[in-house]
Amino acid sequence: MIVTFLDIVIAGLLMGGIYALIAVGLSLQYGVARVLNISHGEFIMIGAFGTWMLYKMVGINPLITLAMCGPVLFLIGFFLHKTLFRSLLASSASADIFEAKSMLASFGLLFIIQNIAILTWGADIKSYSYLNYGVNLGGALFAANRLVTLLFAVVISTAFYLFLAFTRLGKGIRAAAQDPRTAGLMGVNINQVLALCFGFGAVMAGLAGGLLSMCYPITTTMGMEYTIIAIIVVVLGGLGSIVGSFIGGFLLGIIGSIVTYIEPGLAMVSYYVIFIVLLLAKPTGILGK
Amino acid sequence: MDITTLTSKKSLVWWVIILIIFILLAFVPLYAPGYAAILLISILMYVILTVSWVMFSGSTGYMSLAPAVFFGVGIYASAIIGGKLPFPIVVGIGGLASFCLALLVGALTLRLRGIYFAIFTFGLVMLMAHSLLFWELHVTGTRGRFVIVMGYNTIYYYLLGIFVLLLLTAYLINRSRFGLALQSIGQEEDAAAHTGVNVTMLKVTTFAISAFFMGAAGAVMATKWTYIDPFIAFNPFYSFMPVVMAIFGGMGQLFGPIIGAVILTYLEEFLITKFAELYMLIFGTILVIAILYLPDGLVGLIQKMWNRYSERKHADT
Amino acid sequence: MKNKVLLGLLVVTVAVVFLVGVCATNSLAKDKIVVGMARPISGWMAVIGDSAFRPVYETWVKEVNAKGGIYVKEYGKKLPIELLIYDDKSDVGTMTRLTEKLIVQDKVDFLWPACGTAFVFAQAPIANKHGYILLTAEGGATQVKEMLRSLPYVFVGLSFSDWYQLPVFAELLGEKGAKTAYIMYVGDLFGIEYSGVAGIEFPKHGIDIVGISSVPPGAKDLSPIIKKAKASNADVFCCFGYPDQVLPATGTSIALGFNPKAWIGGPGANFGFYHTTFGPAVEGVMGFTSFSPKQSAAAKELADKLYAGKPEEIQDFWGHPLYWASLEFWKQAIEKAGTLDQKVIRDIMATQKFKTVLGPTWFENGLMAKECHTGEIGQWQKGMFEVVGPKKHATAKFVYPKPPWPKPKPKK
Repeated sequence: MIVTFLDIVIAGLLMGGIYALIAVGLSLQYGVARVLNISHGEFIMIGAFGTWMLYKMVGINPLITLAMCGPVLFLIGFFLHKTLFRSLLASSASADIFEAKSMLASFGLLFIIQNIAILTWGADIKSYSYLNYGVNLGGALFAANRLVTLLFAVVISTAFYLFLAFTRLGKGIRAAAQDPRTAGLMGVNINQVLALCFGFGAVMAGLAGGLLSMCYPITTTMGMEYTIIAIIVVVLGGLGSIVGSFIGGFLLGIIGSIVTYIEPGLAMVSYYVIFIVLLLAKPTGILGK
Repeated sequence: MDITTLTSKKSLVWWVIILIIFILLAFVPLYAPGYAAILLISILMYVILTVSWVMFSGSTGYMSLAPAVFFGVGIYASAIIGGKLPFPIVVGIGGLASFCLALLVGALTLRLRGIYFAIFTFGLVMLMAHSLLFWELHVTGTRGRFVIVMGYNTIYYYLLGIFVLLLLTAYLINRSRFGLALQSIGQEEDAAAHTGVNVTMLKVTTFAISAFFMGAAGAVMATKWTYIDPFIAFNPFYSFMPVVMAIFGGMGQLFGPIIGAVILTYLEEFLITKFAELYMLIFGTILVIAILYLPDGLVGLIQKMWNRYSERKHADT
Repeated sequence: MKNKVLLGLLVVTVAVVFLVGVCATNSLAKDKIVVGMARPISGWMAVIGDSAFRPVYETWVKEVNAKGGIYVKEYGKKLPIELLIYDDKSDVGTMTRLTEKLIVQDKVDFLWPACGTAFVFAQAPIANKHGYILLTAEGGATQVKEMLRSLPYVFVGLSFSDWYQLPVFAELLGEKGAKTAYIMYVGDLFGIEYSGVAGIEFPKHGIDIVGISSVPPGAKDLSPIIKKAKASNADVFCCFGYPDQVLPATGTSIALGFNPKAWIGGPGANFGFYHTTFGPAVEGVMGFTSFSPKQSAAAKELADKLYAGKPEEIQDFWGHPLYWASLEFWKQAIEKAGTLDQKVIRDIMATQKFKTVLGPTWFENGLMAKECHTGEIGQWQKGMFEVVGPKKHATAKFVYPKPPWPKPKPKK
């Protein structure tokens, strides 16, 4: 009985860790930069393929690759915002228009990134085996690689939270998330902050991708499926709430795990039911006011 | 051309032009080579999806990502009842099923605003696909279904008929007080509500009407796809394309979305056949450029260029 | 003023609409055989299309063209093959439209198949309606047997569950005394079919199905199912899914120490990347297959053509040989017909035997006869995917129970 309980909860946390990480990334991009980034999953894919490539070809430990992927993805995200989204922001008459346009622009980005990835890595499935052995947690058995992903997801998210809470830049980001205009007046370089947030969002996605590649097979067309999960979690946690996304990720993981235990066929259905019901009942998310 | 200009003096000219176009379109299968009719079917399909999307989202400002849902409902309806009932009834049921679903969805969700509505409707596509898959697996024990195949000409004329009906509906809505009230929602919803417009009723009805046309188009298109399953029927791609086409063409005018749909369908066809390996790259790039540099769409750009040109001409004289 | 703009626009629209029809061209002098395909170059099916039929047709066409092409008596010369490939975006609607384009506008000489069972199902009636031969590659299902009766122009090359594979598998297991099986299947046409057929074939050989779970496509965490399977203590574990399910199911089985006496996963275990992912741990894992390079000189030659000097990941012992044999069969049927007339070639394909890499090959009621197959069930043994069933084609003895997964050694 206890083992079953542990089985379900830990399995939920393991899935949830990844969900939380990708959702925190999207939450930064939407919550602060107001870009509902449909190409979020493509950054996950880039992170996953970067990790796979370095491991397979050069033999670099995937956990080390994480540290290398981060800066690269940050730069991509940062400059994307500096060029594309910033000029969209400048030309949009209202926030609503910007949201619609930036979403469509990211839809275009999805096409571009995926095509480049297919040209670079091919469309076939890739996978490798890393830290694949069982670890016993109070009678419940889990694969080490998945426990590592949970650990890293928590460490990365916590580190980022501390950065937001205690550094000057982090405070600026939070101010911008709450009220961009006032933040601007208070001396926050708003364009810089938005670009930084977009960059950080891309980093989170890339790191999540690297972690994913250790446990699951990857393909260049896998992005959309994770984007959808990220959107569900972000809504669950409340649009724009970074802490909410973090908690929402784990919540969705645990719900998924319970449903999978009862009827695996309903696992994906349950995600969307939760999502739809929550949007109807409490659109501001679990942490919303 | 604001549709209201149709009532002005030159309206007769316009009516004649439109009539001529439709007469030409009506005879396409008779003189066009085989594939042109087939491609026109595709173009018409996207035009219907795009114009019905604009009918609701363009005027109210609610960005719906639900076209794939209503299109899919039509497709599925056609797969289930096609062959058992006469085709016109099948198409009608496809449309009505979407209409009813839209009433329900609309009543439940239209209080969501902005991006929430977009996200909700997007989630709906995935919910439909996955629930239907579960249902088919565990209840009916099938996954895919064969659809009764129809001839190209039948499909073409049905789509043309739906398109004409759609234009008439859009025209009538725009002409009526209904349309005016709808515009007011797009501009200032709260104010509209205060001035006594029954905002909810209006929105839900329009949402459902637009869904009817998407569903009917789906029911017709299914007969050309021959075999469908939940993921084929409910493909999120069909949610994004109408939005992209409308914005590319320009939403200010009724003709913008039509032009957007025609050009992008044609462009896509060109790319997937001539540059298959680079289709996504080129299409995505054009999309991004269009969003960046064509704020009012293609129609807006042409209008701007024309204005500049005519201004210069005036300045010269 | 405004009206003039719009008038211009209308003209443009109309022009675009009508220009569409004008672009059809076709050369008159016959100096090549044009083969058209709508393939998933982008989208979610690209994963399969890219690694299944593509490497085979690319290699084959290159080889045939290097020798001048296919000899067609009607023209008194060899005609090289030219491929016309469109991207169907992994969308059935687009695929059907492009298939029509290839037939109606491009007037290709031959149509080669789209990718995936659902796509083949949608494409077959169209090809048949236009009198185009369709020799399918990726995809096939029991339903196809019913369907083929009304589709004389469609020939199915890939093996599938009840006609070929699972009866052989059940017999192998029954002989070794397997008593119980646990089935996990992906929630789609493929999964339903294989689990359904297993439900019929396994009891015939005294194997009880003690548990069955479906997983929706896209579900990530398979550990709850592996744990249930482990708890059921079944002799046999079947994972009827795609690499997306088979790879994590294997990884999870290894990590959780789930050691059934037989572990089968397909399509997935039959690919080279399965071996490169898990290394020696795959010893004893089973999958579906159709040949082994050890069987004949011709088989060895084919393996060399397709795989020599390339990464092991691209190997596929189930699909590749059958696609190759189908193409060889098709070429000989054309040469025999001496014309490019679809009807004549179809009649030859439906009635005659030709020698391919598999040996004598022919089609029965539109299906590649199972007597032609040189293997159905494979098993990884010492880094080779050996054929273990049916026995007359076996290249190695069926190992049962399979050795347990190697005990993982935690580093540090």
